[in-house]
Amino acid sequence: MTVFTHILATTLGVQALDLHGRDTALAYGFGVAVDVDHALKAPFYLRAVGLQDKRGYYWRSSLQEPVAFLWIVPLCLWLGTAVPLLFFAIHLLMDYSVSFEKMPFYPYSHWVTRGWLVAIPDKVKEAILCSVLVVANVALWWARR
Amino acid sequence: MKRLADWLAGPLARLMHERFGLSPTQLTWGAFWLSGAAAVAIAAHHTAAGLLLMALGQALDGLDGTVARAYGLGSEAGHRLDTLLDRASETLIFLAFGAAGLVPLGHALLAVAAVLLLTTVCDRSGFDPGVKRVALYFGAWIPYPTLFALIFGVNLAAYVIGLLLIDFQFQGRMDRLGGDLDTVASRAVALEHAERGGAPALDPLTSPPQLQTTEAQSHRVFTAEARRTQ
Repeated sequence: MTVFTHILATTLGVQALDLHGRDTALAYGFGVAVDVDHALKAPFYLRAVGLQDKRGYYWRSSLQEPVAFLWIVPLCLWLGTAVPLLFFAIHLLMDYSVSFEKMPFYPYSHWVTRGWLVAIPDKVKEAILCSVLVVANVALWWARR
Repeated sequence: MKRLADWLAGPLARLMHERFGLSPTQLTWGAFWLSGAAAVAIAAHHTAAGLLLMALGQALDGLDGTVARAYGLGSEAGHRLDTLLDRASETLIFLAFGAAGLVPLGHALLAVAAVLLLTTVCDRSGFDPGVKRVALYFGAWIPYPTLFALIFGVNLAAYVIGLLLIDFQFQGRMDRLGGDLDTVASRAVALEHAERGGAPALDPLTSPPQLQTTEAQSHRVFTAEARRTQ
């Protein structure tokens, strides 16, 4: 999913749960900022592909795979909040509806999957989800105004 | 660094091995029992005595590697035992701090979890900052809850960094493999499994049949894709 859709989903969650302060920062950190690994992969992309636009590059890392629950759960227990867990799970659910290859438990397992809803085109899923999230965000904001 | 440590510990290692006839494995176990005694002392509120026993245990733990290297007794099994007993020692000592009420027991358990997580990847990533029980020697100056927060935070962060370093290694492998980017992960996995002589772990529902390959087949896919993209 694009970062814009992740922002919409996280904003909806923050609004719905009425989060403030540290919890809002954690929500955006684990709902959106985990995508920072794409930036970390940029040097690899430049070395392998160059400056041309080539679709399908493996941009993912274990920072946004289910294996990350192994460190996010202890972190939540230490911080005494489930916000990172919840927003990271939402991020994952969205990413796993896009049909590129993923390695959910790497480096512990080499299982490769494409996630779910693979029969529906990615652009259709993204467009529907994005529209629903925009409407839900506006509706929630309007209701609480 | 290891050479310097071996040179410094050499006379003591010779004493342990040649005079007392102790093997690296016996030294590893000796270090563990000293750490166990340290944990008992700490849990009984004799923190200073516990830290002294812990220091003796760590000194002995350092000697096992020196003896193994100096006398050619190193083995993979010895390394595994050393790591296992090191983690067991840390678990006992951390829980002892919890039992003594010096830190919340939950925080001691989470520090153990962070150290164990890091242990699962540090051999492959080559990254371990070494902030474990050694941090506890600073208890005279820094409150123990702060030290446990440090141990937890550093080891958890090191675990995340370790995961990323291993990812980057695999990314390098995928980049070298090249070909169709949409299937590069499954082909790299298939290749790695073929090298190890195992079966590839692919999703049978979503992976195209040609991806469940041997090394030769994987190269064929790559070559065909490379021709197509040229």
